[in-house]
Amino acid sequence: MKPATSLNNVVICRRCDAALSKPNIQPGHKAICPGCGALLFELKKNPMERTMAVSLAGLLLFFPAILLPMIGVSAAGAHNEASLIDCIVILLNSGYHIVALIVFLFTIAIPIVHLLAAFYIAVAVHFNKISQSLLVFFRSYHVLDSWTMLHVFFLGVIVSIYKIVDLAELTVGGGLISFVLLLICSTLVSVTLDHYYVWEKMEQALED
Amino acid sequence: MEAENQQCPRCHRTFSTRKINSLSHTFAWTIAALVMLVPANLYPMMIYYTLGKPEASTILEGIATFVQFGMYPVAIVIFIASFVVPLAKIIGLFILMYHAKRASKLTVKQQGQLYHIVEFLGPWSMLDVFVVAIMAAVVNLGFLSSIEAAKGITYFGLMVVFTMLAAESFDARLLWDVQKDDVQKDDVQKENSQNENTCKHPPQPPSDVGLNQASQHDSP
Ligand SMILES: [Zn+2]
Repeated sequence: MKPATSLNNVVICRRCDAALSKPNIQPGHKAICPGCGALLFELKKNPMERTMAVSLAGLLLFFPAILLPMIGVSAAGAHNEASLIDCIVILLNSGYHIVALIVFLFTIAIPIVHLLAAFYIAVAVHFNKISQSLLVFFRSYHVLDSWTMLHVFFLGVIVSIYKIVDLAELTVGGGLISFVLLLICSTLVSVTLDHYYVWEKMEQALED
Repeated sequence: MEAENQQCPRCHRTFSTRKINSLSHTFAWTIAALVMLVPANLYPMMIYYTLGKPEASTILEGIATFVQFGMYPVAIVIFIASFVVPLAKIIGLFILMYHAKRASKLTVKQQGQLYHIVEFLGPWSMLDVFVVAIMAAVVNLGFLSSIEAAKGITYFGLMVVFTMLAAESFDARLLWDVQKDDVQKDDVQKENSQNENTCKHPPQPPSDVGLNQASQHDSP
């Protein structure tokens, strides 16, 4: 059987799998699934420029967020502070290789690749350099989405602060501030990267 | 099946309406997670040294300590993230797998919601692993007080990863099949074994759903 040609006029709801005919909407508007109320797609203004800026900022923020100390404690003259990298190194040194790998993957490796992929996609779509490899990138971007855990790590920092506060004197380092900014950037990337827009552009480019 | 050789016009992958062997993969990951849940709760997550005296605590003991000291907000957050959520995820996965096989009292919509909750909660139960990693790195004041990670954390981390893999390998569309009609069950299983790739954008307009007009909303 040949691929259905009329598919360009069909949208599938990602939540309830309903097949709907594609509504014509103006930029700045949203299309909503009548069945379950989920967002079908949205037309934003300049979506790619925003994604580029935000993902680049996020990538740059990774260095201070990982390397600078996040929180420090001091009590009775003794002082200690730790960065995100320190957390992983200490786990490795005490023999918890699997846990160290889990922390590394979910807070550093996957978020970096996720941001890189978003940046590459935004640049490629913006400058109309669309190739088959972009498809691979875009697909892996979707897969990585659920494995990025920056937000969970941040909640972990807050819980730790709450736990330590009674124990010793606490200082907040530049690492934590960078990390919060990084978290904001990575959240904004998910918001600004317009999947619908990217697919439309890719489809147009690959058909020619 | 006719759908076999169709290609997605967007991502150019061969269509398959399903993930292959979705149920058995989900089942395997869920069992693995269930097995990890036991040592994760029995072994201590971290060891806390005060003036050289070690004190180990499991997840539940840690929560009990918070309650004792009256730190209720943290106690509730930890209790939900590291005890209720992992357990609920595993139970939720079993419920979904059970209903993928037979019709149930739950409506398809409710089951779909259950699936999305299980999927959404996934990453959040990693909280305790991160807390232990941070505490072990930060609280290191020599003889005065220090914290070390303990055995339980490995099992706990693996358990969270396994439940996430279970949720990811579950094909939510299995839930619709049962309700649509029980007779076609055999066809579904045939399809399961035939198709190889999964397409991110399954167009496959279902004949019995029909094309409704999507409604339009202004953005805020
Ligand atoms: Zn829907």
